[in-house]
Amino acid sequence: MTKKRLYLILTLGLIAGYSWLAYNLWQQHAVNSKPVCFFKRTTGIPCPSCGNTRSVLAITSGDFYDAVLINPLGYVIAAILIIFPFWLLYDVTLRKETLYRSYLQFEKALGKKTVAILLIVLILLNWIWNIQKGL
Amino acid sequence: MDAQKVDMYIMSNSKYFQSHQISYLRERLLLLDEDKWMMLQTVDLKDPTTILIVSILAGSLGIDRFLIGDTGLGVGKLLTCGGAYIWTIVDWFLIQDATRQKNMEKIQQFL
Repeated sequence: MTKKRLYLILTLGLIAGYSWLAYNLWQQHAVNSKPVCFFKRTTGIPCPSCGNTRSVLAITSGDFYDAVLINPLGYVIAAILIIFPFWLLYDVTLRKETLYRSYLQFEKALGKKTVAILLIVLILLNWIWNIQKGL
Repeated sequence: MDAQKVDMYIMSNSKYFQSHQISYLRERLLLLDEDKWMMLQTVDLKDPTTILIVSILAGSLGIDRFLIGDTGLGVGKLLTCGGAYIWTIVDWFLIQDATRQKNMEKIQQFL
C-alpha cells in the first residue's frame, strides 16, 4: 500500500460515508425500506456491522446510549468520520505522512496474535449480540 | 544462485506472481546467495485462487483482505458491510492481483 493510494481510498471512503450519512439524515422520517446489507438480505441474519448507520444517526441526534445498544461499532465509524478529514487535511497541506505511518503501525499491531485474537473475539461477540437483538 | 534451481523455483511458483514480474524475479534470484535458498522456501506465499474463493464466500466480512495481509483495508471492509457490497464485488476482480502483489512484497525482502 503506497501513501498516495491510502489517501485516495480514504478520501473516497470519507466522501461515500458522509454522502450516505446525509442521505439517511434526509430520509430519516420516511418509511424505512428494506435493509441495504446484502448479507442480511440473502441469509436473513444480520452481519457484524449491521446497524452501524442507525448507530451513527443516533449519535448525531445525541442519543449516545441508544447508539451503544444498536451497535457499538458505530462509535468507531463516527470517530473515523470526525477525525480523519482533519488528519488528512493536516497531512496533505503540510506534506507530512503521520497518517500513513499510523496506518502502517496499526497494521503491524493487528498482525500480533494476541491483539488479533482479542479483536476477533470482540467482533464475534458483537455479532452474536446483533443476531440476538435481531437488528 | 544456480540457474537450474532458479528456473525450478520460477516454474513451481509462477502462479503466485504477476506475469510481468517473473523476468525481474528471475534476474534477482540469479544474483542471490546460495544460502538464501532455504529462506526462500519458507516464505509463506498465498494462492490467488484460494483467496478468490474466500473473497466470493466471505468477502463482505473483509476476510480476503485480512488473509493477504491488508489488515487496514480488511477492517474497513468489515466495518462497512463490505463497502455496501460494492467493494466486495470490485474485490472479486482485484483480489487475485492484490494477492500476487503482496506475494512479491513478501519475497522482496530476501532479494
